[in-house]
Amino acid sequence: MSKCKPKGAGKAKPVKKSVIASRKSCSATGTGLSHYILTDRKAK
Amino acid sequence: MSRTGTESRRSAPSRGRFINSGEGPTLQPIDVGHADYLALVDPDTAFWSLVARDRLSDAMSDGPFLQAYRKKAAAFAREMNLLRFGLKPSAVYFNPTERCNLNCSYCYIPEGMRSGGEHMSRERLLEALQRLKDYFQRTLPAGAVPQIIFHGAEPLLAREVVFAGIDAFRRDFRFGIQTNATLLDDAAVKFLGERDVSIGISLDAPRREAADRTRKDWSGQGVHGKVLEAMDRLRGYHAWSVICTMTRENARQLTGMVEFLHQREVPTCLMNIVRCTLPPSREVKPDDRSAARAFLAALERSYELYRETGRKLIVGNFANVLLAILAPTARRLMCDISPCGGGRCFFAVTPSGDMFPCSEFIGLESFRGGNLFRDEVEQVLESRPFQLVTGRNVDVIDPCRRCAIRHFCGSPCPAEAHEMNGAMDRTGAFCEFYEEQIRYAFRLIADGREGAFLWDGWDRGTKTTFEVTATSARRAPR
Repeated sequence: MSKCKPKGAGKAKPVKKSVIASRKSCSATGTGLSHYILTDRKAK
Repeated sequence: MSRTGTESRRSAPSRGRFINSGEGPTLQPIDVGHADYLALVDPDTAFWSLVARDRLSDAMSDGPFLQAYRKKAAAFAREMNLLRFGLKPSAVYFNPTERCNLNCSYCYIPEGMRSGGEHMSRERLLEALQRLKDYFQRTLPAGAVPQIIFHGAEPLLAREVVFAGIDAFRRDFRFGIQTNATLLDDAAVKFLGERDVSIGISLDAPRREAADRTRKDWSGQGVHGKVLEAMDRLRGYHAWSVICTMTRENARQLTGMVEFLHQREVPTCLMNIVRCTLPPSREVKPDDRSAARAFLAALERSYELYRETGRKLIVGNFANVLLAILAPTARRLMCDISPCGGGRCFFAVTPSGDMFPCSEFIGLESFRGGNLFRDEVEQVLESRPFQLVTGRNVDVIDPCRRCAIRHFCGSPCPAEAHEMNGAMDRTGAFCEFYEEQIRYAFRLIADGREGAFLWDGWDRGTKTTFEVTATSARRAPR
């Protein structure tokens, strides 16, 4: 189970952005399962 | 022949200068329920942006934002095309027995199979795994390790042959097992843990009264207590998860379930809404609205617990929705994409070797595509029953074809659509439930909270292909 300091804890409120848009990409050879998580990317 | 809407709109003599006309990008505005932001989504490419409500007209004009997206639109369309049509199977749901020691009210395997079906012999199971190994060696790139998930019915009723298969093929496959946990004793946990086998167990509610209403043995006795004992045995193991099936019976307990799982230090859970493929499961179907309300409340509680403790409980199916938005190719589950993963990213094998596109279809004889012992896997994947599933395309389903979020939802599930609603070109059992999840996901992103719902390091191995975080709509994108 993941345990760490929550992101953003204690930080000032960020400036409001007028546009937020992002996209990430990787090899699409993922697990590709349906109703079961095989933890090849383990929750830490 | 092109298969996506984006590819098909390439012939008009238009420079694509304007949004939503000619060859210009299609960006549909969506009210995601956020006070400050609307979403703009290109349905074909799954490109999204969040735009301040008072800057929407700027974003939709021919400025830096639109210019930046125009440069990327074709690449994003290719990415979605690959994800939707270019993958090969890498996983198998393997049922070593038809039998189950439980008689859960929503099970998609027919009761007759579960009560009196067949077990696979050791020899047959080993032969089946060898055939699957041979198939994957022919089709997967060198170094890729396919996955076998022993599933059910209850796979631990065939414990000896399952364990023999794991030991015989542990260098060839990554193994997982989905079990009702009633037979998951100390020896089984030790065996599976020593071999790094992922373990999924099923539990529907924190309290006995609710959990036992849907998950019970053939005499009607609930198994909540036995599952809790198994959870104690699994505490500290890195690769286990809990599947909670959301029904009308437990929807109000989802928030309590999150608290319970978090307190028990469960690393990951799935909170899957019940599949309504077979009639008995429709008896416990929640309505979309109340299911969405309960699910989002549970997610919000998981966030609060993270803030309070610094420890995450990942709700895997929702994490997958976030991934579908943030990094489409990084998604792990393939129910919320169209075509779904059934028959193209994974398939299911029964004790007799019969092959189905997904476990949901076991029991629906017309969807049997062939037999692992008699047919080549490649031929089965091209069979008519498999093509019925892999050919189900959200781009032609009504109303999904007009829906801006169709590639974040995928209009699950083909088995439901076919059995409950009469045809593959229909929606499944739920719609608004998915709408609300995706709107919530966008609100999280707008507030910068999405990381709390994803496992640490989720973006390892990814690269950023688009980023605009303008504090002014007129500022050039990075």
